[in-house]
Formats: sequence, C-alpha cells, structure tokens
Amino acid sequence: MRQHSAILCIGVVASIALFAAARDAQAQDKVIKIGGLFAMSGPGSYFGVQDKQGIELAIEQLNKTGVNGYRFEVQYEDSACSPLPATQAAKRLLEQYKPEVVLGEECSDATLAIMPLMEQAKVPLLNAGSSSIKVTDPGNPWTFRIMPNEVMQGVDIATNAYKRLNARTAVLLYENTNAGIGNAKVFGDTFKSLGGQILADIGFGRDVNDFTAIATRIAGLGKVDVIPTYTLEGQGLRITQALAQASVTKGGGGQSIQLGTIWLPFGFEQKAGKAAVGYVRIVQFDPTDKRDVVQNFIRSFKAKYNQEPTHINAHAFDQILVVADVIRRGGKDSQSIRDIMATTKDFSGVTGSVEFDKTNQNTKMDTIHYMETSPDLSWKALGWN
Amino acid sequence: MLTVVLQQGINGIVFGSLYVLVALGLTLIYGVLVQINFAHADVVTIGAFAAYFFTFAFGGNYLISIGIALMVGAALGWLVNAAIFAPLRERGSELLPLIATIGVSILLQNAMLLWFGPIPYAFDSPYSNKVIRLWGGTFITLQNLIIVVVSTLTIALLYAFMKFTYMGKALRAVAQDRETAGLMGVNPNQLIMLTFVIASALAGMGGAMLGPILVLTPFAGTTVIVKAFAIVIIGGFGNVEGTIIAGLAVGLIESYTTQFINPGLTDIVVFTLLLLMLALRPTGLIAEKREENV
Amino acid sequence: MLTDRVRISRRGWFLVVAVIIALLPFVIQDSYWRTNLIVCAINIMLAIGLDFILGYAGQLNLGHSAFYGIGAYASTLLVMKLGVPFWMAFVLGMVLSGAAGMALSIFAVRLRGHYLAIASLGFAVIVHQVLLNWISLTQGPLGIYAIKPPPDIALPGLPVISFGNTANMFYLVASFAFLFYLLLDQLVRSPIGETLKAIREDEISASAFGINCTAWKVFAFGIGSAVAGAAGAFYASFVGTLVPDAFIITESFTILAMVIVGGMGTLIGPVWGAILLTILPELLRGFGDLRLVLYGAALTLVVLFMPGGIAQAAQMFRARSGRLATSTDAGMRR
Repeated sequence: MRQHSAILCIGVVASIALFAAARDAQAQDKVIKIGGLFAMSGPGSYFGVQDKQGIELAIEQLNKTGVNGYRFEVQYEDSACSPLPATQAAKRLLEQYKPEVVLGEECSDATLAIMPLMEQAKVPLLNAGSSSIKVTDPGNPWTFRIMPNEVMQGVDIATNAYKRLNARTAVLLYENTNAGIGNAKVFGDTFKSLGGQILADIGFGRDVNDFTAIATRIAGLGKVDVIPTYTLEGQGLRITQALAQASVTKGGGGQSIQLGTIWLPFGFEQKAGKAAVGYVRIVQFDPTDKRDVVQNFIRSFKAKYNQEPTHINAHAFDQILVVADVIRRGGKDSQSIRDIMATTKDFSGVTGSVEFDKTNQNTKMDTIHYMETSPDLSWKALGWN
Repeated sequence: MLTVVLQQGINGIVFGSLYVLVALGLTLIYGVLVQINFAHADVVTIGAFAAYFFTFAFGGNYLISIGIALMVGAALGWLVNAAIFAPLRERGSELLPLIATIGVSILLQNAMLLWFGPIPYAFDSPYSNKVIRLWGGTFITLQNLIIVVVSTLTIALLYAFMKFTYMGKALRAVAQDRETAGLMGVNPNQLIMLTFVIASALAGMGGAMLGPILVLTPFAGTTVIVKAFAIVIIGGFGNVEGTIIAGLAVGLIESYTTQFINPGLTDIVVFTLLLLMLALRPTGLIAEKREENV
Repeated sequence: MLTDRVRISRRGWFLVVAVIIALLPFVIQDSYWRTNLIVCAINIMLAIGLDFILGYAGQLNLGHSAFYGIGAYASTLLVMKLGVPFWMAFVLGMVLSGAAGMALSIFAVRLRGHYLAIASLGFAVIVHQVLLNWISLTQGPLGIYAIKPPPDIALPGLPVISFGNTANMFYLVASFAFLFYLLLDQLVRSPIGETLKAIREDEISASAFGINCTAWKVFAFGIGSAVAGAAGAFYASFVGTLVPDAFIITESFTILAMVIVGGMGTLIGPVWGAILLTILPELLRGFGDLRLVLYGAALTLVVLFMPGGIAQAAQMFRARSGRLATSTDAGMRR
C-alpha cells in the first residue's frame, strides 16, 4: 500500500515537473500570428487554394528553425473575392484571431474593401495579387504590395511592344473586371502616347466560353501587331486557341503576337499547345531563374505537392518570406512589423526583389519578367528587365 | 468583310447548337412537368467532368466518354427525381420544386468544388484543334462540327420520338392533362421519371460535347444556364421546334453583336429580346396548340 | 377569450422585439457579429419586401436583386455625383426602385407563373448588365469606393451620433427594418391584404368581383421593391464599397430562399428565414470547405421536409403544445 502511494506520489510530481517544463518550453517559443484573407469558396477559390499551398510550404520551412525565436502560425478566413464577405471575414479574423499581420486579398475589390478595416485596427496588410492602382496610390501606411501594379506593368509592356517588337497596331482584349479594365486602359494610353494605334477595344464577361466570334472579329481588322490579353487561365486558354484557329496569331500561322500578363501560370503553354507559340508575356515567377531561392522553392514545392508551382504559389510564398525578413530584423508586433516592413531593402524573393516606396508599393522592376513561348512550348527568357 | 460576316454566321450556328443542347433538356422537363430546374446546369457540368476523367484519368476514347457522360446524366436525373421531385410533386406548389432545385444546384456546385477544385481543367478532345477550312476563307473546328451534327441528330430523334412513338405520345398526354392521361392507363409518375432521365441524359451528353469548349470548372454550367432558360421561353416552353429556332437565333445574335457592337453587351441584347417576346408573344415563337393561362 | 390573448400577444411581441433591438449592441460587442446583425437587418428588409410581392400578391418575382441594386446605386450616385443630401437620396432611391418594380409589373401584367418568373429574371439580368457596362455612370466593375455612412446626427444636448459606429448603424438599420415590418404588417391585416390574397388565390374570380387586379399587383410590386431599394441604400452606406456583382441574379435566389425557408405569406416567417440564412453561413465558417455544401443541403432538406418553412414548424409546435394544455385542463377538471 505504501509502495503504491509512493509510486503515485512520484508519478504526480514527475508529471507536474514535465508539465512545467513543457509549459516553459512553449512559453519560450513565441508565435507570430498571420491572418490569411483569401477566397476559399466560389470561383475566386482559384486563388485561395493556390495561395494556401505557397503559404503552407513557407511556414513549414521556416518553423523548422524558427526566426529570431519566433514560430509562425496562420489562420485563413474566406473572403470570397467580394467586398461584403471580405469585410465580414476581415472583422472575424481581426477580432477572434488577432493576427499581427494579414496577407490578402487577390481580387482588387475585396482588397480595397478590407484596407480601411486594417488601418483602423492598425494591422499591416501585405498584398501580392491585386493590380489596381488604388491599392497603394492614395498612400495607405498600413497596406503593402509586393506585386507590380497595373501602371508599372502596363507602361513597361506597352513601351516594350512599341520599341522592341516594333508594334504599331494593337487590339485590347480583356475581361470585364477591375483588373482587366484597369490594365487594358494603361496599355492603351501608353501605346497611343508613343504613337501606336488601338484598332479595337474588346471587353468580355467572365462567363464567355467560346471566343471564336471575338477571334473572327480580330481577324477582320487587318494587320494587328500585338494583342495584349488580360484574363485568367481558363478563358485565356480558349482565347489563345481561338486566335490560332482563326489564323490570327503566330501559333496559327498568322502574324499577330499575343501579349500576356502575370495572370497566366506556368504550364499554360502545355495546355494550349501549338496555339501558344510566339506568345510574349510578363510572368511573376520565372522558373528558369537560376537564383538559389527560386530553384530551392521549385524543388521543395514539387517534393511537397507533386506538381509544378505557379506564380500564385510563388507570390504567396514570398509574402511569408517578406514577413520572416521583417521578424528577423526585429519586428514583433503589428506596429513594429509595419515600421520595419516599410524599410525593406535588398530583399530577394522568388518573384523578384522587394523595396517599398513611400506609398508602400514595391517598385523593383525585376518582378516583371518577360517570356516568349518557343516552338517546343518551353519559355525563353527575354531578359528585358 | 464578307468572310467576316459569313464566319460569324457559322459561329452563330455553332453557339446556337451549343445552347440548344443544354436547352433541350430544360424544355422537355418543362413541357411535361411544368417545372423549372435550376440544377440542370450542374448536370451538364458533371457530364463534362465525367467525360474528362474517363478520357484523361482512364485513357478512354473520347467518343465513348460521351456515352459515359450520357449514362452519368441519366443516373443523376433518376436520383434527383426520386429523392426530391417525386416527394414534392404531391404538394402541388409551383415554387417548392424550384427552390429545391436551387438548393440542389448549390449542393452540387460546391460538392464539385470540393472534389475537383476551382482550377480550370484543360479538356481538349482529339477534335478540338482540328480546323476545317471552308469556302470564302471561313473555317470551323471539327469539334464544333460534331456538335452541330450531333445536336441536329438528337433533335431529330427526339422529335420523332415525341411525335411517332407510343412513349412519346404518352409523354405529351401527361404534359397536357396529367389526370386524364392517368385515367387512360398511362402511369404519370413513371413517365415523369422517364422525362427526367432523358432530359438529364441529354444534359450529360451535352456536357461531354461542350467540355472541350467550355472553361471547365464547377461553375461552368452556370455560364450557360440563364441564357438557356431565355431560349426555352423565347422558343416557347415545352416546344422543341421553338427551342431550336430560338437557340440558333440567340447564337447568331451573340456572334453578330460581338462583331458589330461589343461582346459585353450580348446579354443585354438577348434578354431585351426575351422581354420583348414576353410582351408581344408570350407563348413563344411557335404557338403551341395548348390551353394555357399565360 | 382566445382572441383577447392573441391581441395582447401581438402588441406585446412588438414591445419585446423593440427591447431586444435596443439591447443587442450591449450583448454583442464585437465588430464582426455586429456586422452580421446589420446584414441580418438588411436581409430582413429584402425578405419581407419579397414576401409582400410573392407571398401575399402571389407574383412570382425572381428578380428582387435588381431593385436592391437600383436602390444601392441610385442613392449612392445621387450623393456622390450630385451632392444630394443622404436622406433625400435615400428616399429617391426607394422611389426609383419602387418605380422600377411598378414598371416590371405593368410590363408583366398579362404574364403569370413561370412566365413572370423568367421575365423578372431577365429583368434582373439586364439591370445587372447595365450596372456592369455603363461604366461612365456606375464605374462598372471598377467599383465605387469610400462611400460614406449616413451623416452624423447632432441633436441639441446629446452627443453626436456617428454612423461609423457599428452599434449606431445597427440601431438605424434595425429600426428601419422594424418600421417596414410594421408598415407591411398593417397593410397585410387591412382590407388591402385581403384584396391581395384574393388576387393571389384566383385572379379571374377576383376581377369578377370588380377588383382591379392590375392596379393592386402594380401596387404590391411597387411597395416590395421600394423596401428593397431602402435595403440597397443601407448596404452601400454600410459596406462602403459598391460593385455590380453584389447584385448578381443569385442574390435573388438567396432572398427567395429566405422567404421560402421562413414561410411564404406569413411576413414573420421571412424574418426568421433572413436571420437564419444570414447567420448560418457565418456559423458554418468553422467547417471551411464544407460550408456551402452544408448550406445547399440544408436548403434542400428544409424544402423537402418543411415546405411551410419555419413559420409552419412554429405553428405545428404551438398547435401541439396547445393540445397538450387542453388535455391537462380536462384531466384537472376531472
């Protein structure tokens, strides 16, 4: 009996000691809480699903050793790519999870809706996917964007089209969304100011499936040098195929060059086939980039998910890296994270370098990589930036 | 210029055939059941996915995948009718089945989102990139040609079925007067089930054929469903000939609006036409000899 | 004796509701749930407006989102582009939505059942497309931002009431929802309500009795859509951001679902339907990816097993407990 109670006593003491030790260890392990506002439902989940993959990979890698004694933790809320759900999701996130920093959204409307909430709550918002100039132009101290905005992209590609491709005529082709209209307008204005001519301005809805009619219309316009196309991969694929079928683009035996944007992922060419040959586009993520950070990312992504990473995976990964960089430089709560993030310099991520200007827009042009699709469907880096 | 106009004409007929393929099932269901089915679009989407997986995951033949999709559609139709519409039919309200179809549609779409994810699948059949050059510089892809041919054949078969076979006549009897048809020895419930199965089979088949043309996500069906409804009304609810004419008309309107105005405005044009039709000739393009309180 | 109990109950209930509205912001302090409450109130307005058209006048309106959108855009544009004071813009927004509703109704005066349903759907598609494409007027997909909440109210001797504060905004929107409910409730219980029900049940017989069916249908549509317009104005000034896709036709289906799940033609039913279908998706957020699958399943099941909606369930419950009471009475008497 006495033996039993002795063992019991030792057991209890041991447990308490272990428990205390564990508690201690946990207390030493500080956590940075990251909020993720991405669309998880509806068509916008196209982005959310891929963002999550990139973020999970980065956090897994960083948490192996921690950064400056901190671990990272993420909580996602479904913002559904639309202002009201984004507002509800943001409030829920801010109030219940109380993150130190928030990542999101992808759709410009949703991002613009949540910015005031972040500002009010004094939590920094790091964006990597919205192109609308309104996200940073007015100068919001609590919003940061690492992706080149529509003005940066549009002016650059229009100038390159005019000067390097000798294009003089263009047809604007874009989806009727904030991002589509905004980007097309910048291209059009820049191209015209250089002396080029816009032969047609064609906007289409997100529900269009068959682009033969649009391709036919473009075919009837005469000599079209470039066709800047602003749309996501689903419709982008159909457009490229239709343009080739109508013998408009090089891939179909025509002369026009399609100009694309950041929104088409790696792997697009394989899906589009021969129709995509000759396509020149900006990509946010260049897998032929020899830098270690890029190649390591690709390797570890393939190891974890067994698929090639897309630009959405890449920019989400970079968001975490930027936050980690800030923590490494001493950030520990929302205010310090905001202040230190603003001074980011010499940061090199998978999608390019990061340095924020006074409106917290990343102005490094090496985030804009140009590719051309070769006849074997691989990418040829054009090195224009 | 002539080339462009001709080509848009061909495009319009292809668009039209596409819509007719989706609308046929709707008009059939409406004709017999007097019921709007919002989940129809999702059967089309599921048909497309079924064909996709059969072709790419199992390496099957594309043409056979159309048959598979047809069977999947039929099975789904049977299930939805048995589980949801048959029980609701007893209550006699017009609205309840409609709301039920909305619920089913949300359920199916989000289930597909869970299974298939939101990233578009690149579904290309062996025929989708083969271009046939026609006269005057116009062209049509082999896939689109197949769509037009199969649509026409299906419509012809359906028409013959409705007009000349016993089953078809029984269906029309049930459509006109369910009670009396029952008194005449026709089993209305069985026929209603048959209607659903045929309509959903058509939808599934349509999905398989449209897969290589659509942007294939769980939301693909919704991109065509509202216009399909418009076509069903413009053509006259329950009227097969009307649906065909309306479908082709809408297809042509879309391609010519895209050419001469703006693709973003096609919906406005089509729906304004719909409202005009409802104002001037609500029974549709071809007035059916049917007693109806419009 | 039974009617006495019922009459006291009704007024009593209104008092209870008023008290609940007054107390809610004290019970619920966080911004997230207050936001949900405000959205509830907006949805209640939409649901009761639709129930008036659908449940009482029997008009199959699938395009309610159009009136919601017209109210939102009209009031916002009047304030931001023409500098009209908020409350005047609010009223004008309601008038415009109401007028649109009446226009649709006049247009569809000969149509019934599914024809009217598709006509209203077509109308909603057109309105959405116009909002989307008329960029010079509505900004289209580019959206309208930085929409201000209703202007502060400064009453002498009291602190300034600012509607940037979620509690105050809730009081405002909930009060209006309550007011609209009272108004519609009065209408429905008056001879007007009887007229509408007569038209709903059998239009031919009703006109044989000398009822001008067209006029009353137009009236019902006008009132229902005006209330939706008010909801739109509150939506815009609360969310602060306006994009055409907020008024896509699937919104109509959601509102319709609220009416049906709540119980069509009962007015109080749609209130419950609105509350349930607003709160449910939020509660299901914990389920992550399964959220909407469960929502669709729930909707289908309610229709299958409880076609009269919540109102019917409540009635069945009350009937059953009533029966229990009488049997006990009988027992006691013995």
